[in-house]
Amino acid sequence: MQVKEKEVILEVKDLKVFFHTYRGKVEALNGVELSLYKREVLGLVGESGCGKSVTALTILGLLPENAYVISGTIFFRGEDLLKKSREEMRLLRADEIAAVFQDPMTYLNPVLTMETQLKEVFMLDTNLLRKAVVWQKNHGGKIAFDDLLSGKVKIRDKSTNPKVSKGEINEMAKSLCVDILRLVRMPDPERILRQYAFELSGGMRQRAMIAMALARTPSVFIADEITTAVDVTIQAQILNLMRGLRDKIDASTLLITHDLSVAAENADRIAVMYGGNVVEVAPTVEIFKNHLHPYTSMLMKAIPDVKNPSERLEFIPGTVPEMINPPSGCRFHPRCSIATDKCAVEKPELKRVLKNHEVACYNVAV
Amino acid sequence: MENSEVGTTKSEWAARWADLKYTLYLLRKNPLVMAGIFMTFFFIALMFLANYIVDPKLANPAGYPEFGGNYPFQRSYVWSKGNIINWGPGIHLYEGPEFFLLGTDGWGRDLLKMIVLAIPVDIENAIIITLGAAAFGTLLGALAGYVGGVIDEVVLRITDIFLSIPYLILALVFATMFGRTIETLRFSILLVFWPTYVRLMRGQILSEKEKSYVEALKALGAGHARVLFGHIIPNSIYPVLVQATLDFGSVVLTFSALMFLGFSPSPSLPELGNLASDGYFHIFDAPWLMMFSGLTMLLIALAFNLLGDGLRDVLDPRIRR
Amino acid sequence: MMKDILVVEDLKTWFPIKSGIIQRTVGYVKAVDGVSFGVRRGETFGLVGESGSGKTTLARTIMRLVKPTAGKIVFDGVDLTERKSKPAKLRRRMQIIFQDPYASLDPRQTVYSMLKETMQIHRVASGRSSVHKKALELLENVGLSEEHLYRFPHEFSGGQRQRIAVARALIVNPEFLILDEPTSFLDVSVQASVLNLLNDLQKAFALTYLFISHNLAVVHHMSDRVAVMYLGKLVEIADRDAIYDSPRHPYTFHLMAAIPVPNPEIKKEEVLLTGDVPSPVNIPPGCRFHPRCPYATDRCEQEEPPLIENDGHWVACHYDIDFKGGARSSRIKRRKRRRV
Repeated sequence: MQVKEKEVILEVKDLKVFFHTYRGKVEALNGVELSLYKREVLGLVGESGCGKSVTALTILGLLPENAYVISGTIFFRGEDLLKKSREEMRLLRADEIAAVFQDPMTYLNPVLTMETQLKEVFMLDTNLLRKAVVWQKNHGGKIAFDDLLSGKVKIRDKSTNPKVSKGEINEMAKSLCVDILRLVRMPDPERILRQYAFELSGGMRQRAMIAMALARTPSVFIADEITTAVDVTIQAQILNLMRGLRDKIDASTLLITHDLSVAAENADRIAVMYGGNVVEVAPTVEIFKNHLHPYTSMLMKAIPDVKNPSERLEFIPGTVPEMINPPSGCRFHPRCSIATDKCAVEKPELKRVLKNHEVACYNVAV
Repeated sequence: MENSEVGTTKSEWAARWADLKYTLYLLRKNPLVMAGIFMTFFFIALMFLANYIVDPKLANPAGYPEFGGNYPFQRSYVWSKGNIINWGPGIHLYEGPEFFLLGTDGWGRDLLKMIVLAIPVDIENAIIITLGAAAFGTLLGALAGYVGGVIDEVVLRITDIFLSIPYLILALVFATMFGRTIETLRFSILLVFWPTYVRLMRGQILSEKEKSYVEALKALGAGHARVLFGHIIPNSIYPVLVQATLDFGSVVLTFSALMFLGFSPSPSLPELGNLASDGYFHIFDAPWLMMFSGLTMLLIALAFNLLGDGLRDVLDPRIRR
Repeated sequence: MMKDILVVEDLKTWFPIKSGIIQRTVGYVKAVDGVSFGVRRGETFGLVGESGSGKTTLARTIMRLVKPTAGKIVFDGVDLTERKSKPAKLRRRMQIIFQDPYASLDPRQTVYSMLKETMQIHRVASGRSSVHKKALELLENVGLSEEHLYRFPHEFSGGQRQRIAVARALIVNPEFLILDEPTSFLDVSVQASVLNLLNDLQKAFALTYLFISHNLAVVHHMSDRVAVMYLGKLVEIADRDAIYDSPRHPYTFHLMAAIPVPNPEIKKEEVLLTGDVPSPVNIPPGCRFHPRCPYATDRCEQEEPPLIENDGHWVACHYDIDFKGGARSSRIKRRKRRRV
């Protein structure tokens, strides 16, 4: 049977990141291994402190001052992102890798209208806008955001700058803003553009953020807990939107969430993180049916399931480890029911134990 | 159970001591702050020791009877012994064996000694005034913020009135009204500085009042007094502390300004502003008088300012924890 | 109704909106706008709703942290809304656990100091040794130990802080505990242990719970009966299984359908509500839910449906809609209902 080799677009290998704080060195990431394939949704699941947000920030090059990347590589389109300069990373963030974070209120500028903010994203590449105007003039009719996606105007074409007036560029940007708001299902986009961030509801703000992220048609889209701060019905809308956009936008999504159920419904594959490591990676259906890592198993049992109620929830004894003085060897071993001596000594590597299924544990029964 | 990196603390005060150690650690990291702290300690030590270092009787110009106590310059030396510097026609300079490091003032008193004697006066004033203004203003601000309503409005309007007048003019007005003794002068300046604390505390209280733990305490049955004095005020006190240290410097300067403008209780009082005002008329022929007393004022203000800056950085709750 | 420990009758909590220089009241935020229900002794009564539903305000009103605008709160036969009732005694029998464990503890107080203070307020114990002993006892009840006694809140994790809050609430031996989103800020595994703890405590001390949450799975796990709140009013009250398996109000149905299920193989129907969660400042006329309701008719725009009981199941809807056939193929029946 022929297995189509899926193309890897982003590959994180052995990533170690520390933070320097008063209390000591925080070993946030302890050798993270992650692969993101083209056009897939990878769910990165874990509780607070496991390092999922830090992973995202490292990929984006947005780590704070007191963070140090000790080792590891992040390969994107054949280049190691960790070796890039700040300016190069900035350009990458503008063009290729986009992110939306948890709390849209703090990420939107409160004193600018939505139009200003959204247009700003498009204006990052005036060249593209110029070409769009020229195309529109030549072909008649209006160009829409969808056309950008389908390549009628080459987005990454760095050739000559045609002569186009500022007013026309502005117009183009504005019409693209309206388009993209429609794409994220905002009611009455023209009116939204005139409003400020605080006038929008949580769900709408989140959608505006998604619009800003998608405006540059990125190849990688990082969604860091985008539905945690919103209500259940709005969460359903936003996730539904993400599912709908998948086919239109040719991007791979890294969906970071602490909610396994959200990952269950939206991700193709799930990577479970604990204590700064990825401990299990598998396709979604597989991981739910056949969870191998003890942490994943206990996590599954701790979620109250409406369809399968139980008297007591299984919980994991102990607490999430302090990353200042993390446990030796496998970080989960103090709380693990099947830990052996070896687990305390040496950290298990992520190994492929089944087709498409990787686990970082010595005592897995396959 | 979770692994604790702080260790088991045996009692309440041990816990608070550990907390304090963390504060001191943070303070140590900033060189400017350390400089401020050292300077402050230096001045405060001087405050207590001044009267032992220098005989206070030297301040009394009658202590130099051989020179009659007249105002024009009797002796003036700077930096040199036996060297006569002729500053201009008509000014006769004294040739004598004594060496004055910073020169002398109008009565021939050793300036260095006078400055040393002046420091406790100024710093004492600063502390009394600032603490008084802070205490009074904080209490009023806390009440206004917590109770709200009419009391809040009234207090706000009163502070508005005070704050609308430039502080020096206000100080002058009060000084004129209340007289020229040291106590009344202190009171006058206190009246100038207290409104800031009212505003500061009120702002803190307003935001602290809405916090979850206050609600939790009320739900548990804590009365208003307990909540306000036991919880809200202690949690809001840090900006007041910072403001107080910054105000020390301002108070010294204001007090000196009043002395300078002629409100001093006695012309021979060793006080930095007083000394400076002496030297005002001779700023070109004997600049050291004004220079050094002014410099000392600057250093005191600087010391407390740096301390205040450092405290503010350290106590910022975002940086802690 | 002696078996009901708490009865709320037509409770309203309105917050005036003031504007202008003379601060005229131009409108009201009708956070709680006519809520009636009863909580039976010993049960866990779940309350679900999204943001803007008013559930938190309801909790605060019942606890008398906020003054009700109208209506009655009767706790064990005593009308709390009467001016004469003494709040201090009441505080001993009814306690509340708040949502944010990071903000509900005074950051300047150690655990010991917190517990001691509560004991002092209610004169439960005094003298260093008896206070210490009682404190240890409380900590053990919630799964903490002596080493935690002299630490500050910031040294604890969220789950531990909630345990401390629970310990503190238990000092006064309450009978009734309002839990306002106690696990929303906690991780899944910690949430599990806190929920287990709450269940254990309920059995050990015969407590009655009002459990408020927007997390439907958690409410399902904890509750015996569940009420659904929307824009200040209850739209449905029923036994837990009845509400989750056969909801009768369209809002409840959509709410249940929106819960993500931790099972990737169940293909969920795309049942989505349009529009956003509304604000309690501008309450739609007629049925509050009608702007978002896919089944709304003209009648829904004009007439507000009352909450009517039908065999232990209360619903506020003009129609009896069958959701089983899926969103599209629902049949709208009109039935004569008996008012209770």
